[in-house]
Amino acid sequence: MSQPYHHRITRREACTRLAAAGLAAGAVGGGALFFHDRRRAEASAPSVPDWRVPASPQYPPAAAASGPDPAANLRRAVAALGGMERFVRRGESVLIKPNVGWDRIPEQAANTDPQVVAELVRLCRAAGARRVVVTDISCNDPRRCFARSGISAAAGAAGAEVIESHRLAMVPAALTGLAAGLEVVEELLKADRVINVPVVKHHSLSKVTLGMKNWYGVLGPGRNRLHQSIDRSIAELGAAFRPTLTVIDATRVLLRNGPQGGSLNDVKAVNAVAAGTDQVLCDAWGAAQLGHAPASLPFLELAEQRGLGRADLKAVHQV
Amino acid sequence: MSWTRRLRVLYQACFLALFLWLLARLAAGDPRDLPFTAFFHTDPLAAVGVTFAAGTLPGPLVWAVALIVLTLIFGRVFCGWICPLGTLQQLSSWLFSPRSRRESLQVNRYRRWYALKTYILAALLAAALAGSLQTGLLDPLALLARGLASGVWPMLPGGPAVPGGWLATTLLLAIVVASRFIPRLFCRAFCPLGALLGIFARFALLRIQRAGDGCSSCSLCTFACQGADEPLGEHRVAECHVCLNCTDSCKEGVLSYRFLAPAAPAPARPDLSRRYLLGSAVGALVAAPLLQAAGGGRGAARAELIRPPGALAEQEFLQRCIKCSLCQQACPTHALHPAIGVAGVEGFWTPVLVPRRGWCEFACTRCGEVCPTGAITELTTARKTGLDGAPPVRIGTAFVDHGRCLPWAMVTPCIVCEEMCPTSPKAIWLEEVVETGREDRPVRLQRPRVDPQLCVGCGICEHRCPVGELAAIRVSSVGESRDPLNRMIAAAPA
Repeated sequence: MSQPYHHRITRREACTRLAAAGLAAGAVGGGALFFHDRRRAEASAPSVPDWRVPASPQYPPAAAASGPDPAANLRRAVAALGGMERFVRRGESVLIKPNVGWDRIPEQAANTDPQVVAELVRLCRAAGARRVVVTDISCNDPRRCFARSGISAAAGAAGAEVIESHRLAMVPAALTGLAAGLEVVEELLKADRVINVPVVKHHSLSKVTLGMKNWYGVLGPGRNRLHQSIDRSIAELGAAFRPTLTVIDATRVLLRNGPQGGSLNDVKAVNAVAAGTDQVLCDAWGAAQLGHAPASLPFLELAEQRGLGRADLKAVHQV
Repeated sequence: MSWTRRLRVLYQACFLALFLWLLARLAAGDPRDLPFTAFFHTDPLAAVGVTFAAGTLPGPLVWAVALIVLTLIFGRVFCGWICPLGTLQQLSSWLFSPRSRRESLQVNRYRRWYALKTYILAALLAAALAGSLQTGLLDPLALLARGLASGVWPMLPGGPAVPGGWLATTLLLAIVVASRFIPRLFCRAFCPLGALLGIFARFALLRIQRAGDGCSSCSLCTFACQGADEPLGEHRVAECHVCLNCTDSCKEGVLSYRFLAPAAPAPARPDLSRRYLLGSAVGALVAAPLLQAAGGGRGAARAELIRPPGALAEQEFLQRCIKCSLCQQACPTHALHPAIGVAGVEGFWTPVLVPRRGWCEFACTRCGEVCPTGAITELTTARKTGLDGAPPVRIGTAFVDHGRCLPWAMVTPCIVCEEMCPTSPKAIWLEEVVETGREDRPVRLQRPRVDPQLCVGCGICEHRCPVGELAAIRVSSVGESRDPLNRMIAAAPA
């Protein structure tokens, strides 16, 4: 048995201990080197992609159809633009953004008509879309909004993945010209194609709420600050989000007490649907369904000045 | 007294004096670029804690590697030669101890429960991994600075009152007094920094050696052993503070401190039950999310949670703040105070600005300069005030209370807030009105109004408002630069 207090250290032990101390120092130094200023506190925000397809002179910038069947109206309007195959290719993922803002039933015209949304899903599916997501950030409890608007059931049955607001992941995005610190729906940035499907409604501040205003619904907390200069904000939203297709649902329109309405006396059945690649023109058509001339809406004027589109109602192809 | 012991006492005295002097210069607003953060930049507990919590080792904290390498060579010399809190405890045990030698032998024996510090370390680091940085609560350097900044400096002539400061000072006093009964009780049983250094001291190249046959087992070496590491028996190198009292007191001269001394035969590592260690870590992993979810700190912004200028967003801030009180000590207007409840349990003792006690001096960037972990970003004056063209750094927004403001409610002229407002043009502007006072007497009044686009939330208006306890103009955190969601005005980013 060795005498612990008498033995002199052997060369082997000395080497072992020097190596152990050196290894420990190396591990600490390596760890420090690895972690040193590894992450800055600020993260850069991704930009919003452009989902448009190339413009084609053989098709009109927008087409409108009217009749008793909302789904047939949509099919005719899209067919006039060259069919869904022009906008959605096989294997692409599509995000459809209806207005599901309120705990209202379809007859109250506060949300996009579920038949229009469902038909849109079917058209995308038929065009070969790999995945169709239907989502919105509701103002009321999203579970109630998605259920009572009929959109969960109709779009789900048509083959879409319906994501209620509270299950959405949000990410910061670079939205120049808008309020700082806004977050957008992550699914939106991941989608190959985006279709905006607003419903035509009265709004107490911007007079009407249509396609460009519908982008409020992909923004996180802080979007309520955009109302401080709403016309400029709507135009900025139109510049930030460039959808593949805009579909304006005027199956029923809300004439007063928008944007959530409530009374059936405020609803008028127009039985028309428009689709287009020009957001500004689509909004002008929607405003016309409520009796507003494009020139009377400052946000349309601002959007035209920014070159986002042309609010010339004669360009809408009636089918 | 041998030269080794004299040298050690000299080192201890110098480092304690340096620590106190730096805090004093900080409080005095010394304009020189003194190394105010040096102690904290070399603090491995802060470095490891912040790295675990934030996933990054901010800038100069990398100096902690130097202290670890020092420990790998010399053992825990930091504890015995440098740590100012250790010095204070040693002083207390030396000054106030009427111990007999028999008692000394008793109190300097190793106890199994001294392993508690390692469990504390495991718990704090596990909590840091779960995103909640609490190492600062028991970090001896932060603990000492806290106790001094919130308890001792307030007692000095002209010192600022610090509500809640007694909490930090009581802990500090308890530690110093406990050392009178059991020398360095805090170091032996509670200090997570000591436990962390102990892990590296196991590899120490220099250590205490007992050589030769001369030992008469007189136990003189144990009488003055600071670390309770039993130099006579199975020397515990992870507990040893390298105070060298044992080599000094050995009459036979068999104890020495030397390079590559043979390792003592038995426990080189502390007595740790794996079950306890795992339990501490798992407990902390459960407690940290609980604190985050139910501690009341995160989530929605709160009106009174006004952070220093340049502070990171709340989550990033809490991942870096080690509660060292340097910013509080540096603040020239004594505006920064420890958060007792306003930042939640997790944010206990993190700095908040209390405008009634002081305001954020418009061009001052002192707190960010002395923050050792970058929880408060270092700003230039041009950056903070917006002179560089970008928007200024805001910490909140002022609101006029129309029910208390003299011109708004009392038909009494007053413009103090507007007068004090430092931005250019002033964020507070005056609306001129002629109001009818009593007996139909017309009174010309200037009513203060706040321009939210210009207000930076510095709080000098609230501080100087003549309306006593509850000012008629008050700052709340909305509009702070660090939180893009805590806003009311949709100013487009420049």
